[in-house]
Amino acid sequence: MKIKKFSKEHYDYLKKHHTKKAFVLFTQISLLLIFILGWQLLTKFEIISSFFFSSPSTVANMIGELWKSGELLYHAKITLTETLVGFAIASGIGFLVAFILWCNNFLRRVSEPYIVVLNSLPKIALGPIIIIWFGAGNKAIIFMCVLIVVIVTILNILNSFTSCDSQLLALGSSLGANKIQIFFKIVLPNSIKDIISTLKVNVGLSWIGSIMGEMLVSRAGLGYLLTYGKQVANMHLVMTATVVLCVLASLMYFAVALIEKIIQKR
Amino acid sequence: MEFVSIKNLTLIYQSLKDETKALDDISFEIQKHDFVSIVGPSGCGKTTILSLISGLIKPTTGSISVEGKQPNTKDDVCGYMFQRDNLLPWRNIEKNIYFGLEIKRQKDKERKAYALALAKKYGIADFLKKYPNELSGGMRQRVALIRTLALKPELLLLDEPFSALDYQTRLSLCDDIYSIIKKEQKTAILVTHDIQEAISMSNKIIVLSARPAKIKAIHTLDFDESLTPFERRNSSKAKKLFSIIWQEIQDENKEI
Repeated sequence: MKIKKFSKEHYDYLKKHHTKKAFVLFTQISLLLIFILGWQLLTKFEIISSFFFSSPSTVANMIGELWKSGELLYHAKITLTETLVGFAIASGIGFLVAFILWCNNFLRRVSEPYIVVLNSLPKIALGPIIIIWFGAGNKAIIFMCVLIVVIVTILNILNSFTSCDSQLLALGSSLGANKIQIFFKIVLPNSIKDIISTLKVNVGLSWIGSIMGEMLVSRAGLGYLLTYGKQVANMHLVMTATVVLCVLASLMYFAVALIEKIIQKR
Repeated sequence: MEFVSIKNLTLIYQSLKDETKALDDISFEIQKHDFVSIVGPSGCGKTTILSLISGLIKPTTGSISVEGKQPNTKDDVCGYMFQRDNLLPWRNIEKNIYFGLEIKRQKDKERKAYALALAKKYGIADFLKKYPNELSGGMRQRVALIRTLALKPELLLLDEPFSALDYQTRLSLCDDIYSIIKKEQKTAILVTHDIQEAISMSNKIIVLSARPAKIKAIHTLDFDESLTPFERRNSSKAKKLFSIIWQEIQDENKEI
């Protein structure tokens, strides 16, 4: 290793930078702790009702219990599987359709109004139709999830493909590149950033899809726990399911962010 | 035989509202190892001529032949250099140099070695592992030239390659690229709005009229081959020619 000597000012600059960074992290963690502590205290002294708001300690206990009985893992696994499968199918199909529409101007123009209308349609309205077609099982849930994610994926990725720098495309055609070469050597690498940010949005959307699907039809999963908790007026269960959902969704988001970092490292 | 021969070329652009005649009955010839510049009022269709010669677009009427054949982008005769370097930001310099070879499916050992040898010869060997955003504008344009030369084109089409650079870089890159083109014994067509630049590099200058472009004048230059573009710029001959061409383009601007 080469050891480089820097001026004192540089070390001061680095120190300042690290202090600032640490302070941001510190504040972030503090806010979370204050939130949990405040929630605990407010419900403990019944300033807000512990029946309606539950409390962190009850939620923690409940997570412990559900973990021991294996129910937590059971429900979380079901929802997570639905979400991941929905996410993967929708992202895959979305990418493929965007590619086909990029290749073919005619298809792009024909399909444009359909995609726009489908995009503005609230997909939950299709719930009854989906249940009748697919039955009240996880097929229907995954379909709901795919439906919610796929349209936005197509729109975002296609938009990124078609807004590729025309100068770079001109370079490609001046070299006599064919459509496939232009796609894989210019358009796709140029769109990587947009594709990753689309995936990040898709994480959130696929959770919406699976939970919404579960609320409509299922007998298992976190969405089911939420609906069930609401029906029996068990706010502890509702809060517990929500907290677990938060943790899982952030884990999935960080997984995508990690992939992004690996790709950008080049 | 002429290397490039253009006869009675006319080009009409179609749009929904209108049709625009861009080129009107253009004819000229270029010999091997010529350095020809095309100047004219802005928007007169200079770049269109390059697109036609490279085969990117087809003429409405008239004929073009390069080495006796109709131009086609699939051929390897022409190398196009743009105003912007168009280096791909996600590739390092070495991979950018190979880009043309990849597209033409010629990326073999021998061609790669040739490209690397060019890179070494013309001073970008130290930057091969760097990314385009780490290089200065002049360096980047130099890399773009190496990328073009790696395909061994006989004819270089230069579309205002210096106009995006600052003045200092422009003058020195002008000298560099001129000497590279001469050393590699290429034929070149330079499109520029900078009359001085045209005078400093070429042995033939084609002056176009305002749109639709016709040939207004063709000047043949007889500078001493040993002079660099920079030295040419400062000669009294260049100054005289400058005022002539300036007047020709001025006349065109008045007519609009």
